[in-house]
Amino acid sequence: MRRGVRLGQRAYGVMLQLLPESLRDRYGDEMAEAFGEELAVARRVGRVAALGVWLRAFGDVARCAPYEHWRQRKQPRPKEQRMQSFLSDLRFAGRSFVRQPGATALLIVTLVLAVAANTAVFTLLDGTFFRPFPFAEPSRLVYLNEKAPRWNLEFTGIDYTDFAVWRDRARAFESMALLSNESVNLADGSGSERVDVSRVTYDFATVLRIKPILGRMFTREEDRPKGPNVVAIGSAIWKERFGGSQNVIGKTLRINSAVYTIIGVLPPEAEFPDGAKMWLPIGGNPNETGHSYSYDGIGRLKTGVTIEQAAKDLEQAHQPIWLKSDSSHTVSPRVMPLHDRFVSDFRVVGVALGAGASLVLLIACANVAGAMLARSMFRRREVGIRIALGASGGRVVRQLLTESLALAALGGAGGALLGGWALRVLVAANSTLVPKWAALSVGPRTIIFSIAVVAATALLFGLAPALQLTREDSHDALGAGGTRTTSSKRDRRLLDVLVVAEIGLAVVLLATGGLLVRAYTNLRHVDPGFRSDGALMFRISLPAVKYRNGTTQLAFYQTLIDRLKSMPGVDHAALITCPPFTCHWGNFFKPEGAPPLRANETDPVTLMRLASPEYFATMGIQFVHGRAFNENEGQAAAGGYRPVVVNEEFARHAWPTIADPVGKRIGSRDDTSSTNWSTVVGVVKDVKHYGLARPMIPGIYFPLTRIDSSANFDSFAFVVHTSGNPVSLFPSIRAATRALDPELPVFRLATLHSMVDQSLAQARTVAFVLAAFAAIALTLAVGGIYAVLSYVVGRRQHEIGIRMALGAQSLQVLRMVVRQGLVLVAIGLAIGLPSSLMAARLVSSLLVGVTAWDPVTYVAVVALLVATGTVAAVVPARRAARVDPKIALSEGAT
Amino acid sequence: MRRHWFFILISLADRDRHGSGIMRDVLELTDGELKLWPVKLYGSLDQLSEHGWIRGLDRAPANAESDSARNRWFRITPAGRRVLAAELARLDATVRVAARRLAHSGDA
Repeated sequence: MRRGVRLGQRAYGVMLQLLPESLRDRYGDEMAEAFGEELAVARRVGRVAALGVWLRAFGDVARCAPYEHWRQRKQPRPKEQRMQSFLSDLRFAGRSFVRQPGATALLIVTLVLAVAANTAVFTLLDGTFFRPFPFAEPSRLVYLNEKAPRWNLEFTGIDYTDFAVWRDRARAFESMALLSNESVNLADGSGSERVDVSRVTYDFATVLRIKPILGRMFTREEDRPKGPNVVAIGSAIWKERFGGSQNVIGKTLRINSAVYTIIGVLPPEAEFPDGAKMWLPIGGNPNETGHSYSYDGIGRLKTGVTIEQAAKDLEQAHQPIWLKSDSSHTVSPRVMPLHDRFVSDFRVVGVALGAGASLVLLIACANVAGAMLARSMFRRREVGIRIALGASGGRVVRQLLTESLALAALGGAGGALLGGWALRVLVAANSTLVPKWAALSVGPRTIIFSIAVVAATALLFGLAPALQLTREDSHDALGAGGTRTTSSKRDRRLLDVLVVAEIGLAVVLLATGGLLVRAYTNLRHVDPGFRSDGALMFRISLPAVKYRNGTTQLAFYQTLIDRLKSMPGVDHAALITCPPFTCHWGNFFKPEGAPPLRANETDPVTLMRLASPEYFATMGIQFVHGRAFNENEGQAAAGGYRPVVVNEEFARHAWPTIADPVGKRIGSRDDTSSTNWSTVVGVVKDVKHYGLARPMIPGIYFPLTRIDSSANFDSFAFVVHTSGNPVSLFPSIRAATRALDPELPVFRLATLHSMVDQSLAQARTVAFVLAAFAAIALTLAVGGIYAVLSYVVGRRQHEIGIRMALGAQSLQVLRMVVRQGLVLVAIGLAIGLPSSLMAARLVSSLLVGVTAWDPVTYVAVVALLVATGTVAAVVPARRAARVDPKIALSEGAT
Repeated sequence: MRRHWFFILISLADRDRHGSGIMRDVLELTDGELKLWPVKLYGSLDQLSEHGWIRGLDRAPANAESDSARNRWFRITPAGRRVLAAELARLDATVRVAARRLAHSGDA
């Protein structure tokens, strides 16, 4: 017991180092003794009490120490004591900063920018990559889907009947569930709004291991075809619509014009993965005929099961499906870690941003190190005096490191604030930059990261100059000639290395940033295949309970289209099932007379859409051959004639040898009867349906009159073209729809311009951020060149003076200094350009329409660096050229 | 006057004490409410000495127990007594005003 207390007292004594020395001298022992008494009493009570004493003693020290320092400072103390403590070092640092406010501010701004970039990027990466999902044991969660290489599909979506087989037969899984992201019309007091929901199998929550806040989750009984209308609401709806009331269970909501009973309230993490506000049961039929590859799956592996074992197990479970209906194994199951699936789109972006931010930080460190080094050269005399007066080398290093630390702390605090703010701005401006479930918060992890960055930078840019200085012989420093000895050559070399490194790193950032900007501008000029000027789009979903069949739905659509066309300025209005950049609905077709597919022949999926006749004119989609549908063409009453419009890709694939396929017929691939042929009436240009950066797949348009013979559509998109500003039509569109049916929300209302723009958002953000990094890097590197040459010119005034006295012309001196700057640039380029090529290959998947060795970019980078490098060199060079030999020589003599 | 100074002076008013003694006495005076942790305690004692309201004794009183003899003992100075008396008078006046007002508002 006594021993423990003595140890405690000793530890407390260490804590007391935070106090001013004078107070510690006078009362330190007694303080420690008083603490020991307290601790001894508390230890008799128990550990918790002892811990309490520790905490309060620490609080006591922490609270009182600043005050005591302040109090002691007011009294005159001998100078020797002041040299001792960290705080006096800090004050000293502060004074030396204040003496050079401009230079210090520049250093701090440099660090603030670098730390801000790193904090923002770290928070981004932390929220998406490092932090696990908010579910229990996330490492056991996997993503399930199906793949069909022959259809050119990495993910087909899971077929419900396949899932039913897996669920029965798979052994490696504790549980598995399906999910599908949809949206529904949710009625409120006056009208209704469109709300994102997840349709889930009953045990979805079990797989994620989340529990309802209130009520319960779905039962197996509720998750069947034509099951009861039940809903689990998210916490957001619970708070907004029910004020967080405990009595919400059993209340009802009107969803798609039908009444649903609330059975539970979901926790916030139930919004995973796409921000669902409610859950509804899928109600699938395990015995249904036909396929609906449309679900995402998740599973929880049994403990100790690896992904490979799970994949093998799932394949084994899939066997009966292959045996029964898919002997060529066209569709097979697929399993991957949940995390991989939801960050895969983001990985390259994350790597690019992370690497960019790190490079900026390195450059900033090199820059500050150079500046500190140059500054310490001028302080050599001061340091020499201090060493000569008896300060130890260690003390001087500590003093210099304290300065670095103070700089880093200021830069770090400012950087963390600026970084958090910049990230909020970026994410607010671009919702697709990060997944919706990612928690981007500047929390303890970010703070720890920032502190680590600050500490690392302080060491990186502080240690070199500090060590350099103390190697200095104090005689050398004190002597008048000390500034021109070998040590100054060594300094110069270190400065050169730092600047070359900065230039090299800046080249990498400039090249990759330049390539990404080029890729983005290329994307902007990609022809989307439609005309976005003056066009807008919105969606409406007709609930099945009210609009039971195609006839009533068509009637509604026709009425709305007529009203839209009667609006001032509107010249076209049309309907489409699947507008560009949004959905996918695939199917398979074969041209008439084509031989049956060989076993391993690829059979790419075709994008299917239903369109009203005016769709092509409204969107400005150009016809290569043939024409659009006629009004009412293809109705069942018209007797079997089925017109279709195909895109160029479809025509290329189906009839590679025929120039104009108008009049050719196609049929559904699985349809063996030869009665249901459709006739091609037109061929249109490809529309970049999956994004401007992606290639288009074969596509086909059916007339809207086929609405009944096709699947039931969840929603339709209306396209309107106007000669005026499309935005001005928004209110009248909402009003016209409300007049027809007050319960129908208009959703995804946007101009085509903004849709195209949104599809480029991620490319734009990445290009913008890296261009910003590159700009910072260039500024810092050029600043580095300027600093080195200024230093050199300052040092060599004497020598330059001699040269000029011996007849050198101003121009010659100018050229000499500029040449020195350009040599640094040249070495930096020689290192940076090959590194850039490697860096560019890392981000090659983001480089659309640009190769990693795009000559334009590299020539521009070289030109930019040479130009800015020359400018940075000319300023100190002019100063050198203006050196007056008389003054320079006489100064050198003192 | 700062609360802890006030109680330290009260503690020293009737007799000399050393640091731990003051701490215990103040704890008792305030019904366990004010505990002076070491830095607060000795920082205050240092500052009170600086003001000349108390002074450290060169050696422990003869009647001190042996294990506290090593500690520094403190004694209140005449200046300290005057400051304490002034503070008491101020408090007394405040208490009287407060009591009067409380009595008047009793029927409201």
